[in-house]
Amino acid sequence: MSASHASSATIEDDRSGVARSAATTAVGLSVLTMLLAVANVLNWITTDASVASVALSTLYGVALAVAGVVTVAVGLLSASAVIDANANDTSGVLSGLPVGLLALSVVGLVASQTLGYGVAIWAPAALVCAVAAFLFGSLAREDLTATLPWGGFALFVAAVLLAGVITPSWTWDPRHLGVALTGTITVPCLAFAASLATAWAAAKATQGFGARGRQAGAYLLIGANALFMLSLLVLLVAFVVEKGAGHALRGIHLGPGLSVHVPFVMNGAGLGYDIDGVFPAIVGTFWLVFGALVFAVPLGVGAAVFLAEYAERGRFTTVVDIATDGLWSTPSIVYGLFGYAFILPRLSPGGRPNVLAGMLVLGFMLIPLVLITSREAIDSVPDAYRDASVALGVGRWETIRSVVLPAAVPGVITGIILGVGRIAGETAPIILVAAGGLNADPIRVIHGFRFTSSPPFVANDALLSATNALPYQVYAVIETGVGGSESFGWASAFVLLLVVLCFYAVGIATRMYFQRKLER
Amino acid sequence: MSVETTVNGEPEEQIETEWTEYGFGGDAAFSVRDLDVYYDDDRALRSIDIDIPEESVTALIGPSGCGKSTFLRCLNRMNDRIRAARIEGSVAFRDRDIYGTDVDLVELRRRIGMVFQQPNPFPKSIRDNIAYGPRKHGDINTGLLSRLLGGDDREREEELVERCLRGAALWEEVSDRLDDNALGLSGGQQQRLCIARALAVDPEVILMDEPASALDPIATSKIEDLVEDLAEEYTVVIVTHNMQQAARISDQTAVFLTGGHLVEYGDTDQIFENPQSQRVEDYITGKFG
Repeated sequence: MSASHASSATIEDDRSGVARSAATTAVGLSVLTMLLAVANVLNWITTDASVASVALSTLYGVALAVAGVVTVAVGLLSASAVIDANANDTSGVLSGLPVGLLALSVVGLVASQTLGYGVAIWAPAALVCAVAAFLFGSLAREDLTATLPWGGFALFVAAVLLAGVITPSWTWDPRHLGVALTGTITVPCLAFAASLATAWAAAKATQGFGARGRQAGAYLLIGANALFMLSLLVLLVAFVVEKGAGHALRGIHLGPGLSVHVPFVMNGAGLGYDIDGVFPAIVGTFWLVFGALVFAVPLGVGAAVFLAEYAERGRFTTVVDIATDGLWSTPSIVYGLFGYAFILPRLSPGGRPNVLAGMLVLGFMLIPLVLITSREAIDSVPDAYRDASVALGVGRWETIRSVVLPAAVPGVITGIILGVGRIAGETAPIILVAAGGLNADPIRVIHGFRFTSSPPFVANDALLSATNALPYQVYAVIETGVGGSESFGWASAFVLLLVVLCFYAVGIATRMYFQRKLER
Repeated sequence: MSVETTVNGEPEEQIETEWTEYGFGGDAAFSVRDLDVYYDDDRALRSIDIDIPEESVTALIGPSGCGKSTFLRCLNRMNDRIRAARIEGSVAFRDRDIYGTDVDLVELRRRIGMVFQQPNPFPKSIRDNIAYGPRKHGDINTGLLSRLLGGDDREREEELVERCLRGAALWEEVSDRLDDNALGLSGGQQQRLCIARALAVDPEVILMDEPASALDPIATSKIEDLVEDLAEEYTVVIVTHNMQQAARISDQTAVFLTGGHLVEYGDTDQIFENPQSQRVEDYITGKFG
């Protein structure tokens, strides 16, 4: 790879420079193609549209062809030592596996679906090709395995798109699967996969393969992954906002005075309202979450203190660990059934759904997470604090109360935030134990308290009445068609999102407050 | 009595009993007899016999893993916090066995304060760090209830904070920011704050476990000056791996060597100028350890 003469080394350096800038261009082109494909999947551009009077699939084809040619060329030039590179002589199994899988799927699909061979032919053919590709991918020089399969795949996809084998009007209806793929979705997906492959391969080529090349490739993949995750989140939120915000903000007006009236958020549902609203559901969700917190946080944190500070590590703590992990991953409908069969008959005559039962069931669901995260937080408080306190002659419980718990509060709150996110959106248990359909009026928990002359001396009818909650409302409206239009459901979902965000905001603000207290 | 020690099967020199006999006038703060400490099956200390005098600085030196920190942590029973540790023998503080059944650990640790290797102030304000111990012991009440009942001790707390910070030579540097978080102080200041915090519960003994090993030279020399001042009022036992430090600040020195043996104990000048054990001489002159 390295040149023996100084003059040829300069020429090699020049050539390498050109090759690397070509590879950089290929990366850019591939990333642009990827973005175009994503926009296409999201229907911002339709597949049969044309950009600058060139059909979209032709555009994909040309871009992939260019990227593929550059990638393959750089790989071949590097392998024949025309340009400088520091590739390994063999690539290893980790490089061979994806190459083998690529060959398996491409050859299998082409042979079985396009050429129409029976299973006796296409399956062995695909397997043989996959094994060959795996061996090539594992044993050949790194600059070849990193470029040839992926550049080749891009060229193949380009050929398929340019030759019009798969067009926007193309459909594929496999006999044994219940799905039908259409060209409008297949074209951008193929383009995305192929351009991701060339982007990865070309990114490795820009750094001359070897350790630095792999680093560049990994950087690109991880960056794309992070971006993908972030855009998925944005997409989800944007989708709900788009569907729901319009209805939720309908009829919004100022006044009287400085007040703002948002009918959807502030009204109940019923005959008395010009615009039906979800206020009872918001209040219901608030009380359910609040009650669950009041119930679960002291129990969870208390158990965490016991397990982290007092209990000897042993069989007992192991069993508790397994139990809490199991409880946390128990499906919510199981909690719901438990509440339905165990709690309801004991709380109200006839087992009518009620708020208190909902609070208890959601509290049960919250305890394991609060326990797990609080225990983590307590465990991560440095022993130096405990030593310092104990060395001052302060007892164990005082040390926990005054030093360990304050230092653990931010972690505990993080756990609570996560848990609230889960229970606020929980539907199944609410359907079973707390829900009572669309209400005109919110439950009035605070006003519901009254004193009685006999034990237990305090009663609250509101806690024993059924309520509505936002996730239940979304379910009821969209799935079973209760109480109105689909847009009503979307608007409820939008409000639910906002309510959960509000819980988060409160939690994060509290956490920041305690963290600041620990730091300055 | 003499003990034969071996390292890697090679017979080593005999430890003569008179090497560890140190006669001093006055009472002993600690009298340790036949102390053995095990961590599970590892023996960290072997038959330690030592008397530590009042109101002076006793330095414990020795190579890493020789058991000097373990010994220090036996003096206020901090080793109890390590589950694997097992202690045999007796440690008497002012003629009372601290491993006896009727010992109040809280009271013991209040009278025998400790400063650790890594500065470990609480993530609280400087004031709260100092007042932490007295508040917990009920010596100072600043809570809402005591304020309502008229027993507000905030003035006394102010005095206490100033006295302790002056005692730890930190007052001049922090007097204008007592309500700032202690974690904002430099390492040396944090360590002096920890000393001030230990002083606040009015101890009789201060144990120091390599208090300057995580600090820069300037902060170290401040701690050293402070230790010498403290010895006028308190009994100080200090573990150090810095032999110059031991020579500068201590009145008597105990040398622990590998295997958990106390090899030589005596007047600091005598130990550093004329050690009786060949191995101690090798260690002090830097030939081993």
